[in-house]
Amino acid sequence: MLKSSPAARRLLAGIVSSRRIGSPFSLLQLSTAAFDPASNPSTHQDQPPALPTPETSRSRENDGEAHRRSTGKREGVSYQEEQARVLRAALSHVPRLGWSETAMILGAKDAGISPSIVGSFPRKEAALVEFFMDDCLQKLIDRIDSDMELDKLILSDRLSKLTRTRLEMQAPYISKWPQALSIQAQPANLPTSFKQRAVMIDEIWHAARDQGSDVDWYVKRTVLGGIYSTSEVYMLTDHSPGFRDTWNFLEHRIKDAFDLQKTIQEATYLAEAVGAGLGNSMQGFMKRMFQK
Amino acid sequence: MMMMMMALLRSGSSKILPRYQPSILPRFLHSHATSFGFKQDEKSKLVVNVFSTVASTYDLMNDLISTSLHRLWKDRLVSLLHPFAGMKHLDVAGGKGDVAFRVLERMNSVSNKALQERLADTEEVTKIFVCDINPNMLNVGKKRAIERGFGEDRSLHWVEGDAEALSFADGSMDGYTIAFRIRNVTHIEKALSEAYRVLKRGGRFLCLELSHVELPVFKQIYDYYSFSIIPAMGELVAGDRASYQYLVESIRRFPNQETFARMIFDAGFQKVEYDNLVGGVVAIHSGLKL
Repeated sequence: MLKSSPAARRLLAGIVSSRRIGSPFSLLQLSTAAFDPASNPSTHQDQPPALPTPETSRSRENDGEAHRRSTGKREGVSYQEEQARVLRAALSHVPRLGWSETAMILGAKDAGISPSIVGSFPRKEAALVEFFMDDCLQKLIDRIDSDMELDKLILSDRLSKLTRTRLEMQAPYISKWPQALSIQAQPANLPTSFKQRAVMIDEIWHAARDQGSDVDWYVKRTVLGGIYSTSEVYMLTDHSPGFRDTWNFLEHRIKDAFDLQKTIQEATYLAEAVGAGLGNSMQGFMKRMFQK
Repeated sequence: MMMMMMALLRSGSSKILPRYQPSILPRFLHSHATSFGFKQDEKSKLVVNVFSTVASTYDLMNDLISTSLHRLWKDRLVSLLHPFAGMKHLDVAGGKGDVAFRVLERMNSVSNKALQERLADTEEVTKIFVCDINPNMLNVGKKRAIERGFGEDRSLHWVEGDAEALSFADGSMDGYTIAFRIRNVTHIEKALSEAYRVLKRGGRFLCLELSHVELPVFKQIYDYYSFSIIPAMGELVAGDRASYQYLVESIRRFPNQETFARMIFDAGFQKVEYDNLVGGVVAIHSGLKL
């Protein structure tokens, strides 16, 4: 599994950025084959080389997509850019209309494109939500790169600040965020939304530049993922000014997690000491018993 | 299905369905050449009636050959199209109105009505154009529209025209569909470039067509069904083995999914994809104009 190496980080960022442009595409497009103009035009194969057998899926590989993006461009813009433009324009209608096709149709009209393009998104509303998630992640990365003060904070404060930055991006859409969560939880959309969250949590941990190695990589991501999700849900019903209560909640949860880690460590030491002590006293007891 | 065919054999199909010899069809196509001895408008009504019967024989044959799956395929085509209120849609060579009615029904459905209210400030009028080279088929379609209750609907427009030379302005359509007819177009590239011309930016091209099956065992079954059973059914039910033999051969001659996708891409469309239904018996190709 990926360790915190610069190569791994760039790979993840690469997946994120390619998916940002191509995020309307699900990596799980079943029974639909996309035509790849970069494939060998002289051979009229039944399928392009990248595809697996017909019985399984005809989903496009991510590298195939990137390949198509680089070579399939026409004189004008590529369709992924246009789709991204439509989704971005649609975001401005979301607070009023929710994460719905109506918002996407209005977005298309704002972008000056026929709303028929909405029909070309494989999972309509999920495409909008996923675009937003990718967009927020990109903004988060940009903020991390430009923030100089991050190194001056201790680890728990760093995590708290980064998570807060990310959650604040959802503030304008908070009234419709429950709908976005329910869209993400649908079975068809779950794999993509899970992947997006995993990449985001990983990005936050990298930015926090944690040097400790006492707790496992998975545990760290899982714990922070849990804290993020609970804070996100808490934010839905938070009516305090500037979401003050949510940030308090977040800080306490992070402190709890660190305390829990310390507590677990101390408990381990205590158990060892007790075990050793017990063992000694048992030995002494048995010695005295059998000496008599 | 087998029981029905046996019943037909036993009873002598002429009692159940009229038999049309192939020679009659070309004559009716040039209706001015026939004379029923009636007045002109009565004759045209008769022509429409004849075409209605012919059309319903076509429909029955479609149902028989595809075991009614063609209805589901057209439903899927319209669902992929994803019509929206205020759309300008063009259905080419769909004279009988199958696809157009489905688009209209979807627009008028309850959920779409809610959408319409929200988009009310835009005040765009939905228009569905049905274009066909055969005016008699258009008349049949108009009649069916009335039967289905769309007679008062002002969204439907019936236009006579050729797929290779459409009479619509550039960039005037949000959607373009052609169902089971692009096979019969003489110059497919011309039809595709015409489709590209009339679509707006962001408009979608959708084509439903019989295509190639490559799955190993299923291919053999499908070939046997195509070459042995379909022409026999054509003979029994419509009395026209030759047309259905031709139909099956034309399916084989039509380019396969990838080649056709390449043709659509060459016409200028992007995001060209195809959806195989029933293992490749039918494919829905789609393209986006940008």
